[in-house]
Order: sequence, then C-alpha cells, then structure tokens
Amino acid sequence: MAATPKPAVQEEVTYMRPVSNCAGCGDTKVSWSVLEGMRRYNKEHKLKGKDRYEVVYVADRGCGNLQGWHDYRIVDTIFFMGSGVIIGEGIKESCSDKQVVITASGDGGYNFNLNAIKIAGKNKKWGAINVIYNNFVIRMTGGQIPLETDFDKEGVSLGYEEVIHVNPFHVNDNAELFKSLVDRYLKKQKVMVVADGVCVLDMMRDTRAAGVKMGHFAKTEECLDLKFATEKERMAREEPEKFKDLPRFKCRQCGIGLRCHALLNNDPSICQACGSCKQFPCVTDCLAFQGLSFADSISIDQLKTMSKT
Amino acid sequence: MKKETVIDLGKTRISGNHAIVWGGLEAGVRVTTAYPGAPISELQGTYEQLAGNLRRDNVFSQKVGEALDKAGYQLTAHWGTTTNEPNAVGMALGATICKGDSKEREFLTEEEWSLVWGETVFGKDDKKRIPVGSRVMTSFKHLGGNTAADALRTAMNVIPYVGGLGIASGDDRQATSSQTQQDNKVLFAMHYRMPVFELHSPVVAHRTVRNCYRLFEELGTPFGVIMNYNLAYREVTVDLTLNVDLEANGRQKSFKKDPQYLVTIGPHIRPREAKWLARLLPMIRKKIKENYEFLGSEVVQYGSKPKTMLVVLGPFREDFKMVGHDESLRRRLESKFGDVVAVAGDLVFPQPEELYTELISKHPIERILVFEEGYTRVVYLQLLDMVNRLGLNVKVLDRTIPYEPRIYDRFSYIDHILAA
Repeated sequence: MAATPKPAVQEEVTYMRPVSNCAGCGDTKVSWSVLEGMRRYNKEHKLKGKDRYEVVYVADRGCGNLQGWHDYRIVDTIFFMGSGVIIGEGIKESCSDKQVVITASGDGGYNFNLNAIKIAGKNKKWGAINVIYNNFVIRMTGGQIPLETDFDKEGVSLGYEEVIHVNPFHVNDNAELFKSLVDRYLKKQKVMVVADGVCVLDMMRDTRAAGVKMGHFAKTEECLDLKFATEKERMAREEPEKFKDLPRFKCRQCGIGLRCHALLNNDPSICQACGSCKQFPCVTDCLAFQGLSFADSISIDQLKTMSKT
Repeated sequence: MKKETVIDLGKTRISGNHAIVWGGLEAGVRVTTAYPGAPISELQGTYEQLAGNLRRDNVFSQKVGEALDKAGYQLTAHWGTTTNEPNAVGMALGATICKGDSKEREFLTEEEWSLVWGETVFGKDDKKRIPVGSRVMTSFKHLGGNTAADALRTAMNVIPYVGGLGIASGDDRQATSSQTQQDNKVLFAMHYRMPVFELHSPVVAHRTVRNCYRLFEELGTPFGVIMNYNLAYREVTVDLTLNVDLEANGRQKSFKKDPQYLVTIGPHIRPREAKWLARLLPMIRKKIKENYEFLGSEVVQYGSKPKTMLVVLGPFREDFKMVGHDESLRRRLESKFGDVVAVAGDLVFPQPEELYTELISKHPIERILVFEEGYTRVVYLQLLDMVNRLGLNVKVLDRTIPYEPRIYDRFSYIDHILAA
C-alpha cells in the first residue's frame, strides 16, 4: 500500500475563546438588538427572499465585538484597530442596495479613528448607523479610564443628524429603535447610537445599599439546555467515550445570545438582574424573570417604590 | 454591456502617474482611494477629475474622461474624504472584499483554485469560478507605507478576499519633499510580503498594472506597484489606446458573509499565515514564472554561452534597453561581461525561483549581478537566499546604487551597469 504523503503544513488545532466578557456587560446585547431590529423591519414590511434587507455588521477590534464573533457570530468583519467605520464605508461602495452596513466600535476605536467617523458622517452618498460602546460608562476591560467624550456635541459636529443614547439592557426597546433606523439609513441619514448603559455591577451595589432586593431569572424543566444537561450527565456516567464529542449547548439562544454568564451556567445566584432575558423571546417559552430587574428601571428611587408595591 | 471597449485617443503626452491611471482604467477599476503626497498626488488627482470631482484640467483627463463618459464607465474616487493613508487603505479594503460576482478562470487550474478559494464560502462552486467584485486602487507616497502598515499587513490576512486590490506607492527616496529617505520595496516585500513591482517606464507601465489586476485577482492577493520620483513625474508622448474592461467595471455588487476569513483573530489567521508561506507563495511564484512576460518582464540574451546573468530592475532596466538599439553599447557590454543573459524585470517580490534555476541549468552561469535602485537589497537578498538554499554553484553580487539619483544628477544607469 502506497504511503500517504504528509501534508506540507500541519493544520493548527484552534479553539474559540470562551465567553469572557465582564459579568453584566451590555455591549453585545446591543448587537442582538441590531439583528432583531432588522428581522422586525423585514417582517413589518412583509419582505421575503431577495426583497429582504440584510445587516452587514462591520465591527472594530475590542472585547465587545470580538465576543460578538466568538459566541454570538453576529460580526461580519473585524480588521485593524479603529477600522470598523472606514471598512464599512468601503463596503458601502461595493455591497448591494439590500444590504445595510452597520458599524460598531468601542469609544477606544471612536477616538482612535475619529477621522473615519467623520468621513461616514459627511459622506453624502450613503446613510450611516454607527454604534459606539461608551466604555467610560460601561467600564469595559475592568475599569480603565478612557478619554471622556461628549458624544452629543461631537456627533453633531461630525455630521450626524442625531445622537441617540440607549441602555443596552433594554434589548426590546433597542430592537425597535434599530428597526426604525433602517428607513433613516435608506434615506441617507446619519445616526450615532451610543450604548450608555450604566454598569450593572455598580447598580447592584447601589440597590443593595438602598435596601432594594433585585430579582433573578428562572428556567423551567422544559428548557432545552437543562434537558441537555441531564442527558450530558447520564452520558458522562454511562458512555464517557462519547462525551467529548458532545456540543456544549443545545439551544444557545438566551445565554449565548445575551452574553449572560448566569444564563449560560444556569446559576441564578450570579444573575445581575440586568433584565435582558426578560425581553428575550425564549424558543420553548421556559424562561421567566422573578422580581425586579434593571430592564424595569435604572432609577434607584423608582425601584424602591416598585419593591414596596 | 460590451466586454471590452477600445478607445483610440491618438498621440497624447502622459506622465508616469497617468500611466498607472491608464492601467487601472483598462482593468476596469471602479473605486479609487488615496492620500495625496509628492510624487503621487497626480495619480488620484487624475482619478478625481475622471470621476467628476475636480475640473479636468489637462489633455489626458479631458480626452480620457470624455471617452469614459461615453462608454458609461463607473468610477468613484475618494481623496478629500479619506483623511489619511490608513483610511484610504481601509476604505479600499472594504470595497475590495465584497465579492458579489464571478468570472471564469483564466490562469488557475482546478487544483490551484481549490488551494486559493476552496476554504472560503465560495469553495463549493462546482464550476470553480473566480469570485470577483469591484477592482480597487489605492495610492500614497512612501510615507503612507508607514502610517498604513497596520491596514496593509492586515490585508494579507484576508487573502483571497483582497484579490482585485492594487496599491501604488510613490517613492521619494531622495527626500525631495519628504521627511524620510525611504524605499518602500522593503515594506511591501519583507513586511507585508505582498507581490510588488517597481515600474520602469511610463510607456509600458499601464500594461503591467492592467495585467497585475487580471492575474492577482484570481490568486486572491493584492499587489503593489512602486514608482520612483523621476518616473512619477516624467512625461512621454504615447499612442494612447485604452482597452477598457467594461465587464470588470460593471460587476454585480454584494457583500458575501464569510467571517471565518473576514474576522481577523488569531485562530483564523494563524493557519492562513502558515498556508500563505508554505503553499500559496510557492504557487504564486510558479504563476509569476508562467506569466513572466505577461507581467511586463523579460529575459534577454546576448551571445550563446552566457556566464554572467544581469538582473536589472526599475530605471536600470529602462536604460539597459538601449543596448538593443545602440551598437557601441552592445560592444561595451560584450567587452565587459562577454556573453550575458539579462533578466529585465519589474518584479521585486516574490522572485520566480524556477525561472532562475532553469536559466542556471541551461547556461554556464557563474555569477549573477543584481542592479536595483534604493536603500534595500530586496531582489539581491532573495537571489542570495535562493542560491544558498538550493546549493547552486553561482555567486550573487550586489551592484546596487544605494539611493535614487535626483533628476538634475544626470545619472546614467547604463554607464553604471557597464562599469560594474
């Protein structure tokens, strides 16, 4: 038997990065809203097949977008630092009329390449939807102190007709916002969306100090991942040789989709009560939220009142 | 749309910059981006005029512009909008990676196609057609190679999606209007590891540019063309005939999602870097050898038993052409070297090793003299490496001039060759 020739290069065995966003990070919750917004737009306008619009999600480097790729698979391109918006401008030159280019960067990328934000804002040929993750507020990467930016003033001077601030944990409202922005993009308007959501960890601390008890998620036994977990336990016990071939998740919708450690590990004790899952449509209708969440309000006073009622 | 339109514009005075524009237009370039700077501003300036962003203020842009308008040529030029080189390259990258159309294979075999395109989202195409989109040109002066290095190096990580991107660098090696004396051959060849050419004449540069688009688009790699200061500004009179590829210019637009390629993270790029070095680069060398003359290079032989090989590049090559027309130069060459074989190429990187080994085995070559201009020994080092690695019994000697003579230096490249 002839010997099989050795491949010239050994293909590297690579592993995807595990979920490693900071607990309670809102960044990729916005990206879920972007996609959901487009889905709702197509549904509302009864667009099907080739008539449907499609998001081209052009991201900058940064943990929010990298995680957006690693686990959510929403991201279409990531190139070099500060490149998101300018790559998006290039794509607009060569993509179809049915593709809506949405760019996303942290405020690091924003400040790194302010030029590109300006190019997109001043370009009369195309619309622009630029999502900025405001790290100063969200405290990405463990509380670094980036350059504080006044997006409201800068956005307008850079050519954007409107700067809209959103709380990333209000995923349902944000999906509605992005749905409405599609039409504005098609009319060549420029909109900057700043994801301002305050840090959930800080909010938890403040609510505790005010004596407010926040709620947490709960899953029923119908949850596909819970069922799968039971099956995995059985397999680990009875057929360990097959265990290594099993996927990590069966559903991936809520935990992976919303970038939530608590949902992913099915551990309500580490739930930050951000409330995203409350607005998220579970495929088996087995996800609920008990008690107060920051999706209801981010005002401590209001939460206090709500907890009394 | 008609596939190709031939436009005869008669005798026209053009510069080296115009010659590159000419080549880009013949290739059907649809999007151009740049950040201006001497000596290459005129290149994008001309595209801006042709796209209607600026007034057409010279004979070249007036003649060509009128003809292209009639042919329905699509051209978008970004100059004022791209505020620096990284953004010019970034926008060009974005426009290039959209592969909304396809074309028949022209250069690749089925096996080679699988190597280049097989792992992309287009890999399941039974007909093994080439995914294509807008052809794009970006340009900057040599300093732009530094500021856009991140963008350009990243471009090499998304091969083959960057096929159809041409990058022009205007090198001001004597710092006539720059703060560094720099030779971008080293950046393109050694740092970006991108196929790169040093153009040698405004009369024929357009052919090299046009044909680079055709070949490297299939190979899925960007390519660079470098012009020195003199070439960029030098004017010649040519019979200006445009064979415009209107099919390439009018391709369907669409972005195809392939995040395994277009999201540049370690797990994605590491296997591709290895593949580039071990498999793609050797294949590209082979294709370059197969299409050596198509890419504007040639092998010339004087005498039947050459012991000396001359490798002449850029302005050395242009002057060396005179040997073919001037009997006295021919005699000086013979008395200096005896019989010679000359590899007269625009190609800087990657050198087609098979071509050299073929010539060395065919002729009793004892030494290779390399003539290249600038501060880098890119061709010399590649040939030295080849000779050592393959154990060839040939000496490789550097006969480079370590600078770019200024126009008023009246430097004679042919005299330098004959005095070597």
